[in-house]
Amino acid sequence: MNTPGVLPSIQSLVESNELRVLTDSVKDYAIFVLDHTGRVMTWNRGAQNIKGYSPAEIIGEHFSRFYTPEDRKAGRPAQLLAGAAREGRVEDEGFRVRKDGTRFWADVIISALRTEQGELRGFVKVTRDLTTRRMAEEQLRESEERLRLMIDSVKEYAIFMLTPEGRVSTWNLGAERLKGYTQAEIVGQHFSRFYPPEENALGKAQRELEIAAREGRFEEEGIRVRKDGTRFWANVVLSAVRDHQGRLLGFAKVTRDMTDRRRGEEETAQRARQQAAVAELGLYALQTGDLNALLERAILSARKVLGLEEIAIVNTPSDGDHIQVPIHASDRKADAYGYLTVARRSLTGGDTSFLQAVANVLAAAISRSEMEQQLRSAERANSEERARTEQAQQALRQRDEFISVAAHELRTPLTALHLKLQGLERKMRGSDRKEAAQVTAAVRQTDRLARLIDRLLDVSRISQGRLEMTREEFDLAAMVRQVAEDFREPAEQAQAPLELEVPEALEGCWDRLRLEQVLVNVLSNAVKYGGGQPIQVKLSGDEERVRFEVADRGIGISPEDIGRIFGRFERATSLRHYGGMGLGLYISRHIVEGHGGTISVSSEQGKGSTFVVELPRFETVVRPRAAQVRA
Amino acid sequence: MTDRECGRTVLVVEDDKDIRDTIAEILQDGDYHPFVAANGEAALAALRMADPKPCVILLDVMMPVMDGKTFRIEQRSDPALNDIPVVVLSAHADATSAAAEMKAEGFLRKPVDLDKLLDTIEKWCVAD
Repeated sequence: MNTPGVLPSIQSLVESNELRVLTDSVKDYAIFVLDHTGRVMTWNRGAQNIKGYSPAEIIGEHFSRFYTPEDRKAGRPAQLLAGAAREGRVEDEGFRVRKDGTRFWADVIISALRTEQGELRGFVKVTRDLTTRRMAEEQLRESEERLRLMIDSVKEYAIFMLTPEGRVSTWNLGAERLKGYTQAEIVGQHFSRFYPPEENALGKAQRELEIAAREGRFEEEGIRVRKDGTRFWANVVLSAVRDHQGRLLGFAKVTRDMTDRRRGEEETAQRARQQAAVAELGLYALQTGDLNALLERAILSARKVLGLEEIAIVNTPSDGDHIQVPIHASDRKADAYGYLTVARRSLTGGDTSFLQAVANVLAAAISRSEMEQQLRSAERANSEERARTEQAQQALRQRDEFISVAAHELRTPLTALHLKLQGLERKMRGSDRKEAAQVTAAVRQTDRLARLIDRLLDVSRISQGRLEMTREEFDLAAMVRQVAEDFREPAEQAQAPLELEVPEALEGCWDRLRLEQVLVNVLSNAVKYGGGQPIQVKLSGDEERVRFEVADRGIGISPEDIGRIFGRFERATSLRHYGGMGLGLYISRHIVEGHGGTISVSSEQGKGSTFVVELPRFETVVRPRAAQVRA
Repeated sequence: MTDRECGRTVLVVEDDKDIRDTIAEILQDGDYHPFVAANGEAALAALRMADPKPCVILLDVMMPVMDGKTFRIEQRSDPALNDIPVVVLSAHADATSAAAEMKAEGFLRKPVDLDKLLDTIEKWCVAD
């Protein structure tokens, strides 16, 4: 059935170079195709990099081996495939296992490949090693956590956030001490409860929010009420917090108990101002993505709190009599981001630790912004990769379409040529001119060419999910005898006589042309690879199923190859003169599965191969099973 | 096989000139009387003028102007033409289902096996 010399060129056409280059150029992502049962059909370089398997090792294997034993036990691989089949696409994050058994954190997208008619063809799986990205995310969380801790640990000030409507959304230790509410009690409550009832009656709280929203900031000193009803004199700063588009996210509120300050001495007051400034800066750092604005604000705030104009932030430490406070990420021993410099020879210990606190806020904010940038570029890369996957799928579809169109185009002139040659052959029938034999050979060549084009069309039908079975009742035993009869001559020429064990009759309901194609394919392989030994052909059946078996005593199939011979465009043997058996078995498998049956092979190298086709006798609603392989 | 007098005439409806002419030529060599049409519409016109009506119509499926399926619908709705048997010529592997859908009397797959083609034609041309 296969034509040595012709098939390889068609194979190279089909194995589109562009497609391979495209997916192979992707090194950071494993991109591969699964068939509808989850067996790996293709493998790119990224997959090899991430998972450690070579294409030869993995193609034909079930993809569940990438999962941890726990996940496999829980049926996770099957759940994901079912999800992708149902939803079109599933995304999952979790541990996966490399060939060497090590685990990595992966982002997995499985997309169902369906035909226009909606029939499931298989899946495309894109796996990304997230280990690096995950670390960046954790670092981001940590740096945000540091800023929060800084705010939370401020005891002298109530620092909290309000929603745009004025409801409390965060709460710190200082707020708890000052106002007497725990976080659980107060979050979600309206902040007007901190005001005396007589002021609430005038709508004071609401007015303050409006001013802060309009002008960015509202500051006042006034009377506030604790949980226990006692009153205190407070300094309140209310700042509007907006996002990059200027949308109001809420308000930051810093409340200070002025009663304490009046009592306390100037040093305490200065400390308190410093703490407030640091806390405000921390809040601002959490809300803004604009590092320059934060740095500017830090300098202004430090100048104001220390009462010094000569404060700056520089990249490298300057010479001379300056106090330099490095801005270090706490987890980094390496270079500082920059230095807070003050044109003074000395400062009090309190002022120095204030500058250190400002530097810490800045360092945390800078490292947070770096992490965010990393995340953003990781996300960008992600979306670019998705576009490439789309492109790869598009190329795949275009290739299938091309095969289909090309094969149809080839068929018309071939039909005319074939007819003309047959007409000639008919006229010369019985003649002993040597041209008669040449015409007969030409008819045989066009026959082969026609069958090859048929196969190409079958492959494109399969990949578009359009391989349909037209069932009718007929006698399979008669068909097996007929096909065996057609093979009698080539089998005898190959010194591989067919030994038949076929019942009188075995009726069932199948696609006649398609099933004949399977029988022809399996038999022609046996004759071709049978190594000149008798071939056993058996047909048997019961009420429900039939079994067709062809056993040769030929070269056999190696264990590496046996898993792949039902795949697309695989040829198990490297011996050139044996020609291709790939397309035929691939098509046969789809025909058999289209009938709800199975095709399997067992083989021993040097001793021969046995192909077994099992089919339900009548149409059932059972889903097709995967091709089974036993070595 | 038919009770009409059809005089071994065969209508070949096929859009590809090479295929059409080759089939006509071969039929002529086999002592049939072929006449041809390049699409469904031309075939209907030729059929309405033909006397006697052909023993059988060889019908391609995919053709410009009017395809085989439309031709078949038209032919079946015309009482003067609806008893002429049709054999579908199809390049598709699903020729069986195409033939069933078109309620044709038979089908032949492209590329056509000449012996099969002649056997089929002969079956419909045998006089009672």
